[in-house]
Amino acid sequence: MTDDMLRAPAEVKYADELDWLESIDDGPKPFSWRLSPKMVRLFVLGSERADGLDREVSQKWFGDRSFVERSIVTLASDRGLLLIGDPGTGKSWLAELLSAAISRNSTLVVQGTAGTTEDHIKYSWNVSMVIAKGQSRASMIPSPIMTAMERGVIGRFEELTRSTSDVQDALISILSEKYVSIPELDDDNIVFAQPGFSIIATANSRDRGVNDLSSALKRRFNFVRIPVVTNKRSEAEIVRFRTAELLRRHRIELDVPPNLLDILLQSFADLRTAAASATSDDEKLESALSTAEQIGVLEDAILHSTFFGDRTLRAQTLAGSLVGSLARRSPEDLAILNKYWHGVVEPRSKQDGGDWSAFLEGGREAIATLS
Amino acid sequence: MSEPFGALRQQLVEAATAFAASPGAVPDILAGIVDDVDRALREELEIFPVCHHSPASALAMVRRLREKQPKVIYLELCEDLTPLLTELRNCRLPVALQAFASELDTFPKDWGPLSVIAPITEASAEYQAIAYALDTPGVELVLVDRSTDHVFQWQPRTPATPAHADSPDSDSSDEDDAGELHGDAVGIEIGDLRPRFAELETHLLHHGKVRHWSEWWDQYVEQPLVDADYATYRQVMVLIGSLFRRLAPSGAERVTVDEDRERYMWTRMREHLATSGVDRSDCLYVCGAFHAASRVEQFGTGPDAAPFDITPRTATKWLYGLIPSSHSAIEGQFGLASGSVSIAAATWAKAVSRSKLATFQLEGQRGSRKRAARPAAGAVEAGPVADQLTQFLASPPDLHGFDEEELLGWCVDIVRLARRNGYLASTADAIAVFETSILLAGMRNRARPTPYDFQDAAVTCIEKDVIPGRRDVRRLCEILLGGDRVGQVGYDALPPLARDVYDRLTPIGLDLRKSTVQRALLDLNGRPELTPCSHLLWMLRYLLPDGAVRPIMGSRRLGERSIQESWDLSIGKHQRYIIELGYEGVTVEQVVERRLRRSVYAPDATAAVALRAVEDSILFLGSRRFTDELGARAVELLAAERTVDDAPDVLRRIRRLLAHYRATEPELPAWCGSFVTAGYAHYCTLLPTAFVDDETGVRQVGAMLGFLFTMEGLALSLGCDRAQLELAVRQSHPESPAKVALLWAAHHQLGLLPLADLRARCADLLGNPLVVPTFPQYLSGFVQALEPVPKLAAFVVEVMSDAFAHLPDPVLLPWLPTLITTLRDQAGELVPVLIREAGRTFPATLPAVDAWVPPWTATTGTPTQGPGSPGIAGPRPGGAAGGPGGPAGGLVGGGGGSAGWAGRGAAGGPGDGSGPGSARWDAAMPVLRLLAEHPSTCDDVAGLVGIPGDGGDGPGWLDLDLLNTPATPGRSTVQALLESHPGAMDALEALLIAG
Repeated sequence: MTDDMLRAPAEVKYADELDWLESIDDGPKPFSWRLSPKMVRLFVLGSERADGLDREVSQKWFGDRSFVERSIVTLASDRGLLLIGDPGTGKSWLAELLSAAISRNSTLVVQGTAGTTEDHIKYSWNVSMVIAKGQSRASMIPSPIMTAMERGVIGRFEELTRSTSDVQDALISILSEKYVSIPELDDDNIVFAQPGFSIIATANSRDRGVNDLSSALKRRFNFVRIPVVTNKRSEAEIVRFRTAELLRRHRIELDVPPNLLDILLQSFADLRTAAASATSDDEKLESALSTAEQIGVLEDAILHSTFFGDRTLRAQTLAGSLVGSLARRSPEDLAILNKYWHGVVEPRSKQDGGDWSAFLEGGREAIATLS
Repeated sequence: MSEPFGALRQQLVEAATAFAASPGAVPDILAGIVDDVDRALREELEIFPVCHHSPASALAMVRRLREKQPKVIYLELCEDLTPLLTELRNCRLPVALQAFASELDTFPKDWGPLSVIAPITEASAEYQAIAYALDTPGVELVLVDRSTDHVFQWQPRTPATPAHADSPDSDSSDEDDAGELHGDAVGIEIGDLRPRFAELETHLLHHGKVRHWSEWWDQYVEQPLVDADYATYRQVMVLIGSLFRRLAPSGAERVTVDEDRERYMWTRMREHLATSGVDRSDCLYVCGAFHAASRVEQFGTGPDAAPFDITPRTATKWLYGLIPSSHSAIEGQFGLASGSVSIAAATWAKAVSRSKLATFQLEGQRGSRKRAARPAAGAVEAGPVADQLTQFLASPPDLHGFDEEELLGWCVDIVRLARRNGYLASTADAIAVFETSILLAGMRNRARPTPYDFQDAAVTCIEKDVIPGRRDVRRLCEILLGGDRVGQVGYDALPPLARDVYDRLTPIGLDLRKSTVQRALLDLNGRPELTPCSHLLWMLRYLLPDGAVRPIMGSRRLGERSIQESWDLSIGKHQRYIIELGYEGVTVEQVVERRLRRSVYAPDATAAVALRAVEDSILFLGSRRFTDELGARAVELLAAERTVDDAPDVLRRIRRLLAHYRATEPELPAWCGSFVTAGYAHYCTLLPTAFVDDETGVRQVGAMLGFLFTMEGLALSLGCDRAQLELAVRQSHPESPAKVALLWAAHHQLGLLPLADLRARCADLLGNPLVVPTFPQYLSGFVQALEPVPKLAAFVVEVMSDAFAHLPDPVLLPWLPTLITTLRDQAGELVPVLIREAGRTFPATLPAVDAWVPPWTATTGTPTQGPGSPGIAGPRPGGAAGGPGGPAGGLVGGGGGSAGWAGRGAAGGPGDGSGPGSARWDAAMPVLRLLAEHPSTCDDVAGLVGIPGDGGDGPGWLDLDLLNTPATPGRSTVQALLESHPGAMDALEALLIAG
């Protein structure tokens, strides 16, 4: 089934693993959860030898254990979960994994945008059916959240703070009373949430000011703050894990040399340090330099090498992809990258040589092309 | 070595052989651990292993002391701290025993001052042992660890500072005053028990599914052991000590020091046993679990133990005292998780009330509630050693049931606390925290939520935003679970200086032991008995860091006296600093004297520093001898200086000091004279260089000129030569515009450049389009010249007005900020002069503005006034420009006045209204009378210029009748002189005609 999809949702992709975990799970399960909280944690964070399992469960989300525990516990309680953090910190991925593990359905998603309306959260009507048969449950189109309520599973709300305040506030009654009334209908006009229903929302901490949550809504969510990964080892793990997944998806067989991965991580670390010490927006790259961004650069380089290169990932290609991905504004971003290349990469290539020299050349060419 | 641990050993070795990848290592370690336990328990001298800040250790200690009632207790603590222990009864815990040395012997100088602290908390085994030993008659407490001197003797002599040797990185980054209480002292602890290499700790934390070490210890050792019996407790602690010891990197510096300490302790104990003859079964040896599993050859009290040579102490002079400590300071110093010591204290209190144990407490100690000690039971001997470990390791810990009431209390309290701290928390949050805590504990395999689970739950449910400056929920939880307790050292345990401070501040009538900030109001007129208190407070203000004593109203400067003062006192909170002052001297005055002396003899001392010390000495000590000594040092420092960076500071301070001495003393101290003459020579020498040196700012050169001109009168009277100054000015050839302007001002002051010329030069500058952009810099120079040449004030106003009138906006506007910042820097000195001058120059009313003509244009535009127009601003009497009463007060009057007189003499001439009867003439009368009464000088001068003397009662060239007759228009002494010597005028006329 995964072959038919460009990107399979977590519950499809890890269906075997979830089935197996469900079969061995003897812990107490809250509501209609498919796995017990400990098993959910194990699914997300992977197994260790000490767990004594017959089969290894891979780690899917990298970060502090306590974040995952707090998230799971929140979902087992009466409140919704709001994952908040910088772009690219893995909030949505964690939300997807949690939904997949708890309710085997991570696709009941509402995407928050400036154009999101209350209908997207509650329900809307199939106009032609209403004209033909009048308003009834059959002519009603339930939103993903309402579907989640009816089924007693987890509903997701991406980028909550991007939607306007009045739309956000539609969630208040859903999270408090746990039902949605449909005043247009005379009977059967209340949809009650089944046990197991909860909401995982994500919010970008950089966007918080756009439409900040009302106090009433804040009270109904537990906040779990996901920090940017700064630990180089964890970051390497994440990049490797996600890239392997992408390669599988594209059916590409190509090795990522460890020293090129190091160069990528080092470059991002350097650029992050530079951004942290910048005093104005013009002195830092527009990109948030998140881990997701790194994965994007690597993916781009791999695809480029595969389709236009000799099926080997080279430092020049990586440099080209890095410049191409990060140079969004001209001339500001290009100037910063130019400064970085001549101030940091050049001395490093003289000192360490090897792939850094090729990286230097590739970067120079890319900057020259874009300038 | 078979029993009693044979079975366990066998079991462990078999398990190791079955699971270990490589043969040998693991079985050896596991068997070795069992051997260590066996060995420690077999020792005849009973070893009591402890861990720091462990309530389980403290409880086991109480139980054991009640049972055994030992006669001698050996304690792992620096032996030279013994005299301090009795002082603990005067303190509120936690406090730290401190050894301090500033006079070092054999230790590297850059290590000093050396400071060692050993914090003592109530929930610790060592405190229970100390309290038992000190308050039970017939019990001796012997500290056996190496002395504080040896702590540093055994430090590696690497460039690293010793202070960091024992303080691993703390993860309590948000603790603001963690290091505050302990300073940079080296911390020593009884029972340091923690894995010695990072990988082991990481491994334990990872598999224990906990975040930090304190949590691991609490969950896996502390809780299971809280109610364990003594045998189990002892065996488990030695087992853990042995495990960490065997898994420590061998040969590491730290292990070597630890082994030396163990040799030291066993040697001391054997010595004590031999001299006192006490029975070993009556003794108890309290040491860290790490040391209980020792394998050094000196281990044991048997006769065959190897000897160990204890090196003698160095001649370093150690001073001892108690300083207040706090839970957060201990956590910060020893790298414990934030809040862990507070949580340990809460666990201890709870365990004591649950077990109804009668704990020990020193007689007379404040701070915690007394418990009636039960009559001690008869001494119980330890039974034969039986294996308790197998049972302990094989079965899950027997934990106390879930205390719902306690958790509910926490949840309600945290919500209340959060609300008080600005969070939007409600009862619903309390319910959520409760539920989340239980769920989290369940997820983490805990039968009941620990404080750490509760903390996580509270953060999850309550914290929605991060607002800088607001306490985060984690910190609130720590406060809730016991909070940071700060100890206090009682009066009787204080050093003499600190006691003296408390005594002398008694008249204020405040309880200075309180840790809050208290406001003291001193009405020095109404209650003169408070004057000594005020004096002391000013000294403390000088000695202590900011915040300890802070004046709200009132000041102490030379020439000022406050009628009322108001102070914010926070002496209780800053007790440590007062105690540490006690290491420097017996009284506050002595410490001030030492500090002042140290400051002027420091390698980086400058003349400005020394002058400041002189001022402070006058303000605080009032000792003429000491002040003179500091003053003499200031002269030395000034003469040795090669830069003029401090010139503005030096000028300001010496002026203030001279004014003070002139007002209060009949004559100047000798050092003042030396300072002025040395300064005159020094600044004259450096002036030409300073004018051209790019690194020397205009302000510095201005201050040098200020010194030279304003001190000139005094310097010349003390034997300096004016030619030196004139030469120095002639040698100066500055290039930067601001300094050029300064030099012109100097020339003007010396009479080398008349004002008209100066004005003409400025007009040229403004008229030359190539120079106009730099004109603002000239103006800056003139503004700076106000200090050395105050009579230029009117001219500066004129130039500035001209600049505003004529400079193009593109030049003027960018320059305005520079002008403002320049003026702001010296607002106190320069701006009042300028404003006053401007106030006199410009009309005060709006209608007058229309009719107003700038005085300088009126002056320059009216040739009838002649070249000798008095002063600068026309309408005013000329004397005001250079007369006494400039901004520098009396001193300026001395130098500026004389120079002004000379200038006026040169500028004055026929028709300037300065003849007899005019104001100037009146002012000159006393001088003329003086000359008339003592004519010899004038006669000699007259002889030199060729006027014949009459040999009678007055000089021939001076017509004494003139003094008594009314003004005769057109006739003056100068005129008379010119008439009698027409040659000069003839030559001048010829020259002019020729030109």
